[in-house]
Amino acid sequence: MKLIKDLYQYRELLKTNIKKEIRGKYKGAWLGVLWSFLNPLLMLAVYAIIFPLILKNDIPHYTMFLFTAMMPWNFFTSTVNGCSYSIIASGNIIKKVYFPREILPISIVLSNTVNFLITCIIMVVFLLLSGVGITPYILLFPVILIIQEVLLFGISFILSAVTVYARDVEHIVNVGLMALFYGTPIVYSLSMIPIEFRKFIFLNPMTSIIEGYRSILFYHTWPNFMHLGIVFIVSILIFIVGLFIFRKLEKGFAEEL
Amino acid sequence: MYQSFLQFYMNFAIMTLEGVAMKKTNELAIEVSHVYKTFKQYYDKANTLKEKLLFFKKRSGNDCLKILNDINITISKGESVALIGTNGSGKSTLLKLMTKIIYPNSGKIIVNGKVASLLELGAGFHPDFSGRENIYFNASIFGMTKQQIDNRIDDIIAFSELEDFIDNPVRTYSSGMYMRLAFAVAINVSADILLIDEILAVGDQHFQEKCFAKIKQLKKEGKTIVFVSHSMEQVNEFCDRAVWLYKGSVKKIGATKEVCDEYLKVCG
Ligand SMILES: Nc1ncnc2c1ncn2[C@@H]1O[C@H](COP(=O)(O)OP(=O)(O)OP(=O)(O)O)[C@@H](O)[C@H]1O
Ligand SMILES: [Mg+2]
Repeated sequence: MKLIKDLYQYRELLKTNIKKEIRGKYKGAWLGVLWSFLNPLLMLAVYAIIFPLILKNDIPHYTMFLFTAMMPWNFFTSTVNGCSYSIIASGNIIKKVYFPREILPISIVLSNTVNFLITCIIMVVFLLLSGVGITPYILLFPVILIIQEVLLFGISFILSAVTVYARDVEHIVNVGLMALFYGTPIVYSLSMIPIEFRKFIFLNPMTSIIEGYRSILFYHTWPNFMHLGIVFIVSILIFIVGLFIFRKLEKGFAEEL
Repeated sequence: MYQSFLQFYMNFAIMTLEGVAMKKTNELAIEVSHVYKTFKQYYDKANTLKEKLLFFKKRSGNDCLKILNDINITISKGESVALIGTNGSGKSTLLKLMTKIIYPNSGKIIVNGKVASLLELGAGFHPDFSGRENIYFNASIFGMTKQQIDNRIDDIIAFSELEDFIDNPVRTYSSGMYMRLAFAVAINVSADILLIDEILAVGDQHFQEKCFAKIKQLKKEGKTIVFVSHSMEQVNEFCDRAVWLYKGSVKKIGATKEVCDEYLKVCG
């Protein structure tokens, strides 16, 4: 509750921070904000060429199959990577004034959300062009997005606070994300995994989320609500624990930085 | 069913109203009780996981510096209190505790009301942006909304007397101009409590007098003010009470004149 009150009072700060994040990332770059679209598209192009070569599969529309999972995954990694440094990056201000520190990781999550929503528009265009098309199932998109947001907020609270005390967490996270990329059904489909391994893959909360996006955007079916429900509950728990950890650790930020 | 809900909410509303009323009768602005603060002395800051694990045992030795010991101060609403003491006696540390930039190791600090801390001015100033944009940045860090800033921006600019430069990037400002702008923002945040740390020493004579007059006016408006200064003249002129900090403890607390006289006798 206190969080909502704080965020409301400091909404101007939150807004300027989000704007700064979105614009600042590509400041001075020749193509500017355009890079936030070009980047994933180029990456996608590379994967779409390479993976069919290594990974024998008979998935039709493989590029779109990849696209619908890759974009939410990119959103996940760029947020997680971005938030771990968010407190340290603002160390100067933290040492000088009080403001609700939660604003820093939150604005990273929200600015990445804005980016993601824009790439989703591109994704819809591509879905239509490629012949996969869209169906009313796309209306479930906000539901899955909200689950992912809650998860991301929780992770961001934990990582941003812990990184202040142990800087190398940032690098561990980086490596972990790279490994997790292959532990999530992005370049392959779940059905390609032997049954006995599947339950391990579902330990990763991103699996259900990515599968959810793919169901509604690519397969045009209902997502697995049981899986999503479990992930939602887990995400809420992570959120609560994350906020608790953050509140504990934020008291030492000014001294540690 | 519906009615019982309504009743419940009515009761709830009445209870919260009573709560608010109770708070109003509570006239304390700041309550510092049994506060201890120690700083870790790092010779080499261990900030990576490996170092944390390796040096875990070594660091548990008592390399802690006791900065504040059992501080007890209560400040009522509308009061102006001076903190005096020699360099390194812990005045700035106490103010930082009051703004919640840092937290005490033990003890409690209760602050009722919105705080504007004039400790380190110009937090969040971005050298490449114009003075006007920086007013927005800086004020938003103090928790003001866009509309509130819009309403006050003319006052802020007028107070800083930087009308001619306000759309230039801040990096082109002289250090005095920079401080003027920062002070103008901080003083115009509508706060109930002002924490001021030796910043009246900035700016030229004219601006200093202006700041002092402004603070006096805020005092008249009923703001609570905690004032750190080495100028006994200013303290005497302006504060109701004074607290003398000596090596992290309260040595004397009382009417400004008495405390200042004794302080000057010992340390002057
Ligand atoms: N971040 C820190 N880490 C370790 N020690 C610190 C830190 N900040 C302050 N100190 C120590 O705390 C003590 C009190 O400092 P503080 O800044 O509160 O003094 P002060 O009363 O404001 O002095 P001055 O009149 O010079 O402003 C000093 O001995 C200082 O060395
Ligand atoms: Mg000081």
